[in-house]
Amino acid sequence: MEAIVFYIIAIITVGGALGVLLSKNPYRAALFMVLTFFGIAGLFVMLHAQFNAMLQLIVYAGAIAVMITLTMMVMNRRTLEGLKRFNPQWYWPALIGAGLVADLGLLAYKFRIDLSNAGKNLAMDGSNTKLIGEVLFKQYLLPFEVTAIILLVALLGAVVLTKRDIK
Amino acid sequence: MLTQYMIVSALLIAIGATGVMIRRNFMIVLMSLEVMINGAGLLLIAMSYYIGNVSGQVMFLFVAAVAASETAVGLAIAVMMYKKKKSVDINDFSILRK
Repeated sequence: MEAIVFYIIAIITVGGALGVLLSKNPYRAALFMVLTFFGIAGLFVMLHAQFNAMLQLIVYAGAIAVMITLTMMVMNRRTLEGLKRFNPQWYWPALIGAGLVADLGLLAYKFRIDLSNAGKNLAMDGSNTKLIGEVLFKQYLLPFEVTAIILLVALLGAVVLTKRDIK
Repeated sequence: MLTQYMIVSALLIAIGATGVMIRRNFMIVLMSLEVMINGAGLLLIAMSYYIGNVSGQVMFLFVAAVAASETAVGLAIAVMMYKKKKSVDINDFSILRK
């Protein structure tokens, strides 16, 4: 039963990624990207990472998709849709991508861990959010603060890049 | 079951990398970057589940924050180049070299 659900969600996720890769219309590509994010959130729920699934839905399918869509809304529609789909030299990068699939797939096939006690030793008693909060604010407090500084720097950089007068 | 998760992650990373390399629309390049980041995050969380350590899930929090920052700066570059060139074609972005 679990395998069937996993395959359905995996097909939805990879299909959304292929839609981003192949669709000519960028608005449609953005909707395929949102489909991919929903599929990834479903896989996170299957991996008992409920907090990260909710974060995926809020941050990615909410914030980032809306940012990209609104940025496309302020542009001219003919400018966005009038481009050719691929580069003229599309075959070598496609070959590199196929090689990457083969390489990582072979690695995944050879990387057979003993999964007899998989997921058993994860402390699943209590909520996932409580566990993440304890680890985040005890062991990873300094990276958390550095992440706040990174967000501030990105905000300032985006404002400076957008508001500068272009000569 | 871990092998299937790794294969899905590999497919997402490879599709995203191919999209970054072969598409001409800068918006779709940014979307392919997001797909790649999500593939890496799926691998993080699958490993965190099968090893039994919650640190991978915390790592995904940092990954999501950095991805949001990167998207904001990338969209700012896209808006700037659109103001200057009235285009979102990657081939017009070569004026950034000058």
